[in-house]
Amino acid sequence: MKRGRLALALLLAPGLLWLMAFVMLPLGFLVVMSFWSSSIFGTVPDFTLSNYRRFFDNPLYTELLLKTLRIGIITTLISAVISYPIAYFISRQSGWRKFALVVLLFLPFWTSYVVRTFVWLPILGRNGAINQALMSIGIIDQPLEWLLYNEGIVYLGLVYVYTLFMTLPIYLSLEKVDPRLIEAAVDLGARPLDIFLRILLPLTWPGILSGGIMVFLLTVSAYVTPQLLGGPSGIMFGNLIAAQYLTGNNWAFGAALSVVLAGVVLLLLLVTGRWVGIQQVFSGGRS
Amino acid sequence: MSAGLAARPYRAYKVLLVIYAVTFFVALYAPLVTIAVLSFNDSSITGFPFRGFTTRWYASALGNPQLLSAFLNSVLLGIVAAVMATTLALLLAMAFRRDFRMKGAVLNLILAPIVVPGIVGGIILLIFFGYLGMRPSLWSTVLVAHVNWVLPFAFLTLYPRLHGFDSSVEEAAMDLGARRHQVFAYIVFPMIRPAVIATMLFSFSLSFDEFIRTIFVIGFDRTMPIQFWTMIIEELAPELPAMAVMIIVISSVTALIGFALMGKSTRRS
Repeated sequence: MKRGRLALALLLAPGLLWLMAFVMLPLGFLVVMSFWSSSIFGTVPDFTLSNYRRFFDNPLYTELLLKTLRIGIITTLISAVISYPIAYFISRQSGWRKFALVVLLFLPFWTSYVVRTFVWLPILGRNGAINQALMSIGIIDQPLEWLLYNEGIVYLGLVYVYTLFMTLPIYLSLEKVDPRLIEAAVDLGARPLDIFLRILLPLTWPGILSGGIMVFLLTVSAYVTPQLLGGPSGIMFGNLIAAQYLTGNNWAFGAALSVVLAGVVLLLLLVTGRWVGIQQVFSGGRS
Repeated sequence: MSAGLAARPYRAYKVLLVIYAVTFFVALYAPLVTIAVLSFNDSSITGFPFRGFTTRWYASALGNPQLLSAFLNSVLLGIVAAVMATTLALLLAMAFRRDFRMKGAVLNLILAPIVVPGIVGGIILLIFFGYLGMRPSLWSTVLVAHVNWVLPFAFLTLYPRLHGFDSSVEEAAMDLGARRHQVFAYIVFPMIRPAVIATMLFSFSLSFDEFIRTIFVIGFDRTMPIQFWTMIIEELAPELPAMAVMIIVISSVTALIGFALMGKSTRRS
């Protein structure tokens, strides 16, 4: 028994020490630094609420947070609507065709989102595919400038990059639905809408919720997509945080903004965690 | 009779669903195909019209020493991060086969790096190591950032394999006098080896593509995604589509091999 304890401790120790030292400790330090003060001479230990006051007093900052949350919610909803039919379609296939579709679906999941965001530049830019195609057939004679650098394109970019995080859990939860349930409903005369609303939706709700949390989490912390595609009007909260470190040198304010963002995400997980275990969110509702 | 009547609206839905599926996959792949086409475009402006086929952008990307070193950095870092994260995750997953106190809390701790927004995951290491006086570089801060990021995914891939493992085989071996380490080396590990290798491949792919945590702690070094980013921001370099194709091919091929191995290990157990 005692040896069993020792073995358990030895198995847990390396991973736990790593996570404590390089995740929890730095996170704790972030919270501490959010009460420090930064000036042109650097960031010094202090205990001040001025970073948080600066955030809440300036409507530009709070509006940016609200805009980011709005983009997060809308992107999540769009992803759910796009994902459900395709997840359903694939779950109804069988054999090699299903296997091929699943691989096709998840292959882009494994390729860099920086690359998958970049692809829109040569498609929507001045010399992009859309402009060149429209000009060559004579619909326009000047390239359209509004195709890029606006909030709408940020939605397109985010949905393109993150939808698969919604499709996976929905697909996995649809896989668990017994097809005989649907057959029985059809035999009893249920209409497609009834089948969706009264059988599929309740049974796959955990999958939708898992995917929704994941997409929302990724979207509200987006930096790459708004930076590359958004232009000045498409900027999000992540860009504001990054600017404190990459261009400005305001580490303490950046720390406070980071705490706010992490706090929003944590709050969401605490609220939704009552319905879905968080481990289920990341294993796509498998367990 | 009633089934026959009901079948008609369903047929319409089925057709709609097929049309939708085709549209979905076209939309998913069209941008990637466009980039692949552009990577062979004989024009120094990234975009259309297509002025002829060339492979010179691949040659010039691979011939650029800065790009080549970014590429090698990413490959080596990916290997080291994958081995480290998979080892830590394997040990944790072994521990999770037993019951212990605070198991739920430990699980939340393991998943923390995914829950923390990516940008925050980079910044905490920037300020933490910054105050420890450590200079940001590939093999210090970036390696830590990548192991942090990959570890939870490695755990989530390995844990179900180990959890579904029939422990009666191990008990039998122990009854016959095998020691713990022998049971692991001769029984457990050979059975989970495909899953361990698959986990390493997935981990490599995640590390190879990592950007948001890396950019804050990279200092003057370069990984492939960071180099790619710098080239987009500074000037829309004509090599970008060729680089994009190389990044896509490397990470998706690694992941595909991982899938194949994972499928194999599922069939076995």
